[in-house]
Amino acid sequence: MQVHVSQLNTVTLLALTGRFDAYSAPAIEVQLKSVSEQAPAYAIVDLSGVNFVDSTGLAILVQGMKRCRQHNGDVYICGVQQPVRIIFELTRFDTVFKMFSTQAAAVEACFLKV
Amino acid sequence: MPKPKMTVAIVTTYPPGQGSLNEYAYHFVRCLRQKQEVREIILLTDSLPEGRSYPLMGAVDAVPIRIVPCWRFGAWTNPLRILAAAWKVRPDIMLFNLQFATFGDRKIPAALGLLTPVCARVLGFPSVVLLHHLMEKIDLKSAGFGSRIEQVIRFFGTMLTRCLLMTNLVVLTMPQYVELLARKYGVNNVVLAPHGAFVETPSAIHAPSINAEDKHVLLTFGKFGTYKRVEQLLDAFVLLQTQQRPALELVIAGTDSPNAPGYLDAMRRRYAAVPNVTFTGYVPEAQVASVFNAATIVVFPYISTTGSSGVLHQAGEYGKAVVLPHIGDFAEVIAEEGYRGGFFEVGSVQSLAGAIAALLDNPQERAVMGQHNYSAAHSLPISDVVDWYLVHFQYLLDQRQRRKAHASTRISAKHGYSSRAHWTV
Repeated sequence: MQVHVSQLNTVTLLALTGRFDAYSAPAIEVQLKSVSEQAPAYAIVDLSGVNFVDSTGLAILVQGMKRCRQHNGDVYICGVQQPVRIIFELTRFDTVFKMFSTQAAAVEACFLKV
Repeated sequence: MPKPKMTVAIVTTYPPGQGSLNEYAYHFVRCLRQKQEVREIILLTDSLPEGRSYPLMGAVDAVPIRIVPCWRFGAWTNPLRILAAAWKVRPDIMLFNLQFATFGDRKIPAALGLLTPVCARVLGFPSVVLLHHLMEKIDLKSAGFGSRIEQVIRFFGTMLTRCLLMTNLVVLTMPQYVELLARKYGVNNVVLAPHGAFVETPSAIHAPSINAEDKHVLLTFGKFGTYKRVEQLLDAFVLLQTQQRPALELVIAGTDSPNAPGYLDAMRRRYAAVPNVTFTGYVPEAQVASVFNAATIVVFPYISTTGSSGVLHQAGEYGKAVVLPHIGDFAEVIAEEGYRGGFFEVGSVQSLAGAIAALLDNPQERAVMGQHNYSAAHSLPISDVVDWYLVHFQYLLDQRQRRKAHASTRISAKHGYSSRAHWTV
């Protein structure tokens, strides 16, 4: 899996490509941990290039979201493709995470918050 | 603003109580105690037999916990007792750790108990049900029910499932369970949260192909007498002992199912002449690891299935090869969870003996299978799964808060105040 990290003012954007599973999860965990230590703790995770998420991947996103929210921030998800969307729907994380169809929409929503 | 902490009440069995799902509750609570979102945990448990009590649990570096024994297996009054206890402690959220026979081995107390979650919701407590089994996945034919009785049981099972689905959220441990309930009942309050691994920091696989006394140990673990029955396994064990290979020991670890008191005693008497069989009785939590670590193969002598298996997760955590029944879609179910096993035909002693022998005689396959199951079991620790629950709890509490705020705004508007004025008062 490839992770492209960029900074949009105070918001961290993580664009992922490939499989988001137990093998690739630690790299994302490190990134989200460092976001949660910033102020404001906002991250956007772009999953438009991800074709598979397993339970470990989801757990990393949930932990990241919890930590960011504890620091008055959040993790926004964008660009979720159909196979991955099914996992979010089964776990009902589609109602828990703030989800956006495009990166632009997520960035706009994030900037309104920070 | 950080969210206020929540008080979570869990209606469950709990060790040293020996009811089904007690071990899951133990590990769930162990992890929940480490979460900073939680203010207090209140366990609404079943009463222990005379002279026994739940241990006192201090709150050093952990969320405080209170155990309130308030219901009794098989009692008709359980809903009232549980709701009265909940009313007293006023939790923010109630979690019910359930399967269909949690509250009794007879139909009426079992069914009445399963109405408690929806009653709790009616009383104003956000209610979440963790349902370990689905009636739709219980193989009643293999369990010996005729088609007429099966239809009646399925009808009432469907009714009870509908009642459980009237709670705020029903949590299931497998994707196909979620899809099944959503499709059959047309609901959207079902959610997937995997079983999770009990062992937090996995150590290397302890895989004694032959144990210290130079013998293979076959282990079966659980609560026996209903759909977990050991007759076929004991007969297969007799057959295996006639064959040429290192000595064998059969360990039957666990107790009677609450629904089948006296079963294991009857088995012990019936098979008293079979050598190298150990009935351990109840295995305290601290000894579970050594029981699994000593095993060469874990055998699941089920005559029907209820879907997934908690014991299978445990066998995986200890990196064990497993022998499983070939029933319905059980093979598919465990494959979906990432496990592998050898399979036998229910009712055929030769088939079970053959499946065990195939693994006993192939240490390489045993090791590969053990490694595979180990990876499956450790993919997600239960601590992470508990986070999923907390996220859903918080979502429900936020929703409730929003509804209350909305209602209060409407009342203010009705009485001629602007909502802005109301909030600035």
